[in-house]
Amino acid sequence: MIIIKLGAIILITVVIFAAFLMPPPLGAMAGGDASRLFYFHVPMAQVSFLSFMVAAVYAIVYLRTRRPTHDMVAAASAELGMTFSIVAMITGALWAKQAWGAYWNWDPRQLFLFALVLFYGAFFALRQATVNVDTRRRLSAVYLIFGGAISPFLFFVLPRLYRSLHEDANQVVMAAGSKPTMSAPVAVIFVTATAGFLLLYVWLLKLGVAAARIQDESSQGAGEP
Amino acid sequence: MTGNYTALIGVLITWAGIVLYLVRLDRRIGRRKDQP
Repeated sequence: MIIIKLGAIILITVVIFAAFLMPPPLGAMAGGDASRLFYFHVPMAQVSFLSFMVAAVYAIVYLRTRRPTHDMVAAASAELGMTFSIVAMITGALWAKQAWGAYWNWDPRQLFLFALVLFYGAFFALRQATVNVDTRRRLSAVYLIFGGAISPFLFFVLPRLYRSLHEDANQVVMAAGSKPTMSAPVAVIFVTATAGFLLLYVWLLKLGVAAARIQDESSQGAGEP
Repeated sequence: MTGNYTALIGVLITWAGIVLYLVRLDRRIGRRKDQP
């Protein structure tokens, strides 16, 4: 566990230094200096997608095993997915202001990520509002499986069906035929950032599950349903 | 380039704050778990 924590701290610190001290990864058309956000915005969006998928997988496992730990992992992962999505939206909006001229552009990717944030926001409302523990866990699991089913469409399929401002940035990174045209230093920093945020996700997930377990034990001790 | 250094320091301070908070939270949760 210490390797995960240290790994997350070291890798993200290295990425912060590299992102600001190396030349920007994309040209003036993609925001110039603001394109340094590429090293934070894209990995966070990727990790948020992974979080929603992990939540869905643990929700399925919970429905099969009915072990509370699996419900806690699923809920903590969904929480993290939403947190990473919100940070990805904020970094994206800051970048969009420089590259496209406005924080919000009704771009398909912006719109569908926002829809996903609303979807998971409703999940937490549902979770809080359900008093019976067993019902809460079962409802959460079903909701998260549904979330896991729609996430790939909202992340990957629907944004590609509409003309997106993201395409201009994508064309700089990915040439025709989907071969990455990232220069070697940009690719190294990008992969390091992805690994760093992935480790941070694992650390936060463990923390979230441990906190949920303490909360569960104390609520049982207090005689709550 | 000056702007980049200012941004770098700002982001580093924010990241240091997040790490400190997480480490303290980690320790607190660890202590609670160890309690009988």
